[in-house]
Order: sequence, then C-alpha cells, then structure tokens
Amino acid sequence: MADTHVLQNVLRDEQRLPRVPEPGVMVIFGASGDLTSRKLVPALYDLAAQRRLPLEFAVVGISRTEMSHEEFRGRLRKTLEEQRSGEVSDDVWESFSNGIFYMPGDSKKAETYDELKELLKKLDSERGTQGNRAFYLSSSPSLFPAIVENLGEVGLNKGENGGWSRLVVEKPFGRDLRSAQDLNAELQRYFDEIQIYRIDHYLGKETVQNILALRFANGIFEPLWNQHYVDHVQITVAEDIGVGTRGAFYEEAGAMRDIVQNHVMQVLCLTAMEPPVTFDAESVREEKVKVLRAVRSIPEDEVENYAVRGQYVRGWVFGEEVPGYREEENVDPESVTETFVALKLFVDNWRWARVPFYIRAGKRLPKKATEVAIQFHSSPHTPFAHDETESLAPNVLVVRIQPEEGLSLKIGAKVPGAGFEVSSVNMDLLYGTAFLEEAPDAYQRLLLDLMLGDPTLFIRADEAEGAWRILDPVMDHWSEKREVSFYPAGTWGPEAADALLERDGREWRRP
Amino acid sequence: MIGEARQAPGGGRMSVGQIERELGKLRTNDDGTLALRSSVLNLIVVTDEESAQEITASVSKLAGRHPARAVVFISDPEGESNVDVRLSAFCNVRGGGAQVCAEQVTIHAEGPPARHLESLAGPLLIPDLPVFLWYPGEFSPRSLEFAAMADLADRIIVDSAASENHETCLREIAALIEDPEMPAIGDLQWVGLSPWRSLLADTFEAPERAGDLQKIESAEILYAPGGENRALLLVGWLASTLGWRPESRNGGGQNLEFSGPSGWISVVLSPDSPDARLRRIRLYSPDYSFQVSRHRALSDVRTTVMRGDELLAERTVHLGSFDLGVLVGEELRYRGHDEAYEGSLRKTVEILDL
Repeated sequence: MADTHVLQNVLRDEQRLPRVPEPGVMVIFGASGDLTSRKLVPALYDLAAQRRLPLEFAVVGISRTEMSHEEFRGRLRKTLEEQRSGEVSDDVWESFSNGIFYMPGDSKKAETYDELKELLKKLDSERGTQGNRAFYLSSSPSLFPAIVENLGEVGLNKGENGGWSRLVVEKPFGRDLRSAQDLNAELQRYFDEIQIYRIDHYLGKETVQNILALRFANGIFEPLWNQHYVDHVQITVAEDIGVGTRGAFYEEAGAMRDIVQNHVMQVLCLTAMEPPVTFDAESVREEKVKVLRAVRSIPEDEVENYAVRGQYVRGWVFGEEVPGYREEENVDPESVTETFVALKLFVDNWRWARVPFYIRAGKRLPKKATEVAIQFHSSPHTPFAHDETESLAPNVLVVRIQPEEGLSLKIGAKVPGAGFEVSSVNMDLLYGTAFLEEAPDAYQRLLLDLMLGDPTLFIRADEAEGAWRILDPVMDHWSEKREVSFYPAGTWGPEAADALLERDGREWRRP
Repeated sequence: MIGEARQAPGGGRMSVGQIERELGKLRTNDDGTLALRSSVLNLIVVTDEESAQEITASVSKLAGRHPARAVVFISDPEGESNVDVRLSAFCNVRGGGAQVCAEQVTIHAEGPPARHLESLAGPLLIPDLPVFLWYPGEFSPRSLEFAAMADLADRIIVDSAASENHETCLREIAALIEDPEMPAIGDLQWVGLSPWRSLLADTFEAPERAGDLQKIESAEILYAPGGENRALLLVGWLASTLGWRPESRNGGGQNLEFSGPSGWISVVLSPDSPDARLRRIRLYSPDYSFQVSRHRALSDVRTTVMRGDELLAERTVHLGSFDLGVLVGEELRYRGHDEAYEGSLRKTVEILDL
C-alpha cells in the first residue's frame, strides 16, 4: 500500500487537462443558513457539473436544525432551481447530491465532534475521500472559537491518514485589532496559519484580480506608478442600495467593518503593493502586508483631519425616493452608525512617499461603482496660451472594477480648428467587454482554490490585523464622539468628505 | 451574451483601404460614437460554399471568448476568376452604452485567386496579434497553397474527421508535425477528447488506484461513425502515456494488442450507434474496472469505478458541448506545440502502421 502512494496519476500529468483537487470532504458549519444554499452549494454544483471536482467528493452540512439528509438535499435543490429557473440537470444533481450529507448538532458540544469524526471516517471508507477535510465556518462568528477548539480537541485539525485539514473563515475577521488578534490566536491554537483560509469574496472576482494583471503584466504603467508621477490616488467603492433587510447586522458593523476593513483595504493593497517575485501565496501576501505596515497611523486626536463618517438621510436615487438609514428596518432611530466613510491615508514607503490615498465607500450613493483613479501631476509647463488650456485637466488613469471593467485614460488633445486650444479627452478601454463572456462566480473560484490548497487569494492573519491596526484609532474616536454627518441618499456623501480634499486643493472625481 | 450583428451593404471586389474604411464605419454607432475594436487574435478560415453558413455562424459565436479579426474564405478554385468581399461586425453593448466590436471579412474567391488566398489574407491581418488558420473541412497538406497559408500562421487547426479517408488524414497531420517549417497544429478530434481524458484521469486520482494504471489488461472503446479518429487518438494517448508498445492489429483494425510494463494489453474498438462519436470507454485492471459512459440521449456522462460487482465510486456530470465553435475556441487558447497531442498522434500512426 505504501509504495502505491508515490505512484503518480500520469494521465493527469498534462497542461491541457484542468487541475482537479485531491479527493476530500467539505464540512459546512451553519449549513442551514443562506450562504450555504445561495452561494456555496450552487458554486460546488457548478464545479462538479463542469468536471472540476474529484470523483471522490462529499459535503457535510452541520447546524442545529433537525433535518434528514434528504430534507437537506431537498432544500438545497429548491434554492438552486429558483436561482437557475429550473435548469438543473436531474442526473447531475442526483449524483452530486448523493455526496451531500447532513448532521444535526450543536457546534458548542463536544459530542457533535465525536459524531462528526465518525461520519468523516465512514465517508473516507465509503466514498474514498482519503482523510482530506475542509471545514467551512459559515455560522455566527461568535461560534468560531468553540468550533475550532472542538475540532482541535478531537483531532480533526489534522487530516486522517496523512490527509489534509483546512479551515475556512468568513469575514468579519474580528471587530477591531484586539478581537482580530484574539480570533487569530484561537484559530492558531489548533490550526497552523497555512491551514487557515480567510475568505473575502472580493478577491475571487476576476475584475479585482485584473488589477494585478494590469500592473504586473504590462511594462508601460509600472514606471509611472509612484510618487514621481502620481499626485494622488482615489479609491471608490460605491453602492446605490441601502441596508435593506440587513439593518440589525449593519447597526453592529457599519461601513468601516462591512466594506472598508476588507474589500477596500484589499483594493488598496493591490494598487500600492510592490511586484511580487512569483505569484504564489506567500510572495503575494507578503507584499500586501508590507503595504499595510507602511500605512501611516492616524493619531487619535487628528482623526477629524483624516476621516469622515456619514449616514444617508431620505433622498432620491435614480428617480426613486428612498428612506433614510434611521428609518430602515431594525435600525435605531438615533443610530450614529456610518453608512459612508472617507479616509485620507499615506503609504510611507519609497514608492508612495507624500502621495495621499483618498478612500471613500458608502451606501445609497448615486450609482454602483468601484474604481481606482491614479491622478498624475500636471505637466510641468505648457507652451500654449493660458486661455487655450483652461479645459485641460491633469492625466488620470482610472482602473474600473465595476460595473464596466476597464481602463480609462484622460489625455490632452488639440481641439480641431485654428489656434491651439487643448482639451482633455477620455480614452476608454473596456477590457472587461473585450472578452464578452461572463466571468465565473467568485465563490466558485475560491472554493476550487481552497480544495487545491492554493491560499493566494485568501487573507493571511497579519493582513487582517494590519487592516484593523490602520482603522482602529478612527473607530475608537468615533465610538467616543457619537456624531455623524448626514448626506441625502443619491449624493456622493456628506460635505465633510468634500472638505477633506478641498483642504488639500483637490476634489473627488465623479465615477 | 448580448450582441448585435452588423452588415455592411454592397460587396464586390474591394481594396484593402476600402475594407478597413468600411469596417471602421461598421463600428460607428447610431449616435455617431465609435465602438472600439476588440481583438486578441487573427483567425483565417478556409471553407467551401456548402459549409460556409455553418462555419460563419461558429465564427461569430467565437467573438465571445476570442474577439478576433476573422477572415473567412469561401474558396472555389475551379470557377471563373472572381473575388467578392462582404464585411460584418459583431458588436456588444454593455454598461453605459459603450460598444466593442469584433470584425469579420468574408471573401468569396473563385478561379485563380482561390489558389493565392495568402495574397488576400496577408494584408488584412491585424499587426502584432497571433494568426490562427482553420480548415474546417478537407485540406491538402502537400499543396503549395497550403504551404503559403501556413507561412502566415502561428497555429493551424484542422479536423481529421472531415476527410473521407480518416487514417490517411492522421498520417498527413503526423507528417506535418515533424516538419520544422510548420507552425504548431491542433486537431478538433483531439480537442473533443479533452473531457473524456479528464474524466478517465479522475478515476485514478485515489492513490490506491493510481498504481493500477500500470496494470491495465484490456480496454474497450465504443465509437460511432465519424468517431474513428477520436477512438484511435484516445488509444494513442493511453499507449504513449502508459508506455504501451503497439504489437498487432487485427479484425479489420478493431482488435489491437500492446506490450506494456506488466504484460499484454488488448484493446477492442467497437462501432456503435451513430448518436455520439464516442460512447463509452472501459479499462480493466486485475482488481478494478473503470468506465466513462455517455447517456444515450443526454449531454451527461457517468463515471464508475467497480471492484468486481462492488461500486466503489460513481458520478454523473455534464460532458460539455462539442459544438464546433466550442471546439475551435478551445484550440484558440493554445499557441505552442501540444506535446501530449503530438505524442499521441505519433503513437496512433505506429498503430496504423502495423
């Protein structure tokens, strides 16, 4: 038996066949929740149907709800059919769902894990899953420590018979630096960092990954990508929707924890990082951490000069009147939770010295838009008459992430006619639409990477902590000073956000 | 996919300059703005009147993943001397009304011009982008015309099943891959094997079964008319990957014998009903049987691993599309030599030579 393990599957040893993960089981905690039926299982079903999962694969769902395997499968199928308007193949579902199991259990109780361990052993022998397990924590974050401890105590933090064990953690990774450190310490008591996959689905988006392709696959941008040429950078993550039914969750989180700590900080890292030597997990994540480490701390007594928080009040978004945040369901009528954040950050390193990074993220802004705008210095001298260059603005390179992925470069060009009037022209390259096909779902990509054991697009402990370290002083200051600036829904945030740039002689772009 | 097909009026003989100008006009939107041209490659297609419609439809479908400047020749070397150019663009609208177009130049070439297609194709290629040359039907690899076209190309795509004599065609392609002057070559019959090869590889992923790859004793392949080359290339692939040496070929070419690392291997190729080019593959080792089998009416495929009568693993998945556009699209993803294909083809020709 021992020597057969070293034998390779030579049939797979070829560039043109897709890489398929080793056999294994995915165990989902909090399996009765929305994420499982709406995101995880549809992504796994698609991967299975497209022949990207191993033949020997199983899913085990755990939550407190009493359900049989069949009931669990039925629920999952129902949601899938709703999403796909009935386009689910009976045979493929049948064969995929034969590998789905459900185990009712209280994740705080030790006996649940004894039972789980037995079930996994049984699956190893019956379905050939080879002792490989990925544990997906999709339950309430308050249960994470208990689940991890129990997994560790029964030895499920190690794969069976030389197999692997991986742990997937959904955001939020804590509420602040202290709780993130506590959480990481809890996770690392039983799992090595290399086994831990912190998931931020933003990184699974093709469009976000394209920032790396743009920067590091093109020789012409990188020489300009520094303080010699760049005046400042604006990062915008705007949503036009409100909090909807997530009022209770949002009251606890706010824009800072919901969007800025994870998505926005990731975009900042990808924009500002140095070229990694190779595209492996440690090289890429090391460079991202270096950016976070270089971000200048905001002193608590100067927060007002660097950060703005806002909250939307009743207003109009694209022809529709919408309620203010305090009028939303499950929201405190006197809430000071921020639905908008603007920040001014500096990345104190050789490349970015003195270049401000202005960041804004919020809900109920005029439109959904995510973009990074690199604003270059004005040309040092124009030979043309002043009145002929009035409409000339400095060059801006915009990397658009959503909704239309692409690049836009603002350049000066001569207006046809006598004289030498020069004006700015936008050149748009929609590389997103250059390929007309829809990109795969972010979860599909990330779940496959997880099974393949590639953590490049997952967050490392020091990344999560690094982001909190930057934001902690701001949040501390805000929680002491219970004030928030208002903005009407459908506008680009409170006036204080405009003032943040005006003080520096700059202004926000309109995305 | 949201898209719009646009046709230029007219046709007839046009100069390169006229063609470029008219293509530019096709990208002009109703409101006067200009849509962008999006292209990652040049695709030259050589076909005949009979297949032209099907081929053109496939080419426009390719615009999704492989936006290209496509130059489609409908060639008839026998007719009166004539050149007729038609232009179309496939444009896509997304987001704020921004448009991106892929372009297609269709050229009917009859008589002598049909023997000098390279002179028409060359000036129409977009600079700095790779050139793919696709022969959907029969082609004459030893002709001067073929050599002149191959000179323009970075990769040639052929379909070894399109030829009347499929074995000869395989031999001819094998001769081309040995020619250092030729660009890399891909065969759509090989591309159609990818899902089968991947599914078969899956059955050996469990470490306790990987060792059985060296112990295969026999194999059965069911194929339909038109699927002969797929079946042969599959055997060629198994033989080249697993180190089998072809020893004999009997029963009208359907019973093959190989010598392998642990003994003799017998392979039976059996014709089956015409609804699927490949229908089923079975491999037997002393302990296990491995099967990948297509549903009779469905696009799904079932994989099983058995030990005697005991079912060890089973799965049904989508086999994927074998639509012409999908197969060609798959080939367009590769630029260089496909060593697995070339190794399998060489081995296949060794089998044919027995």
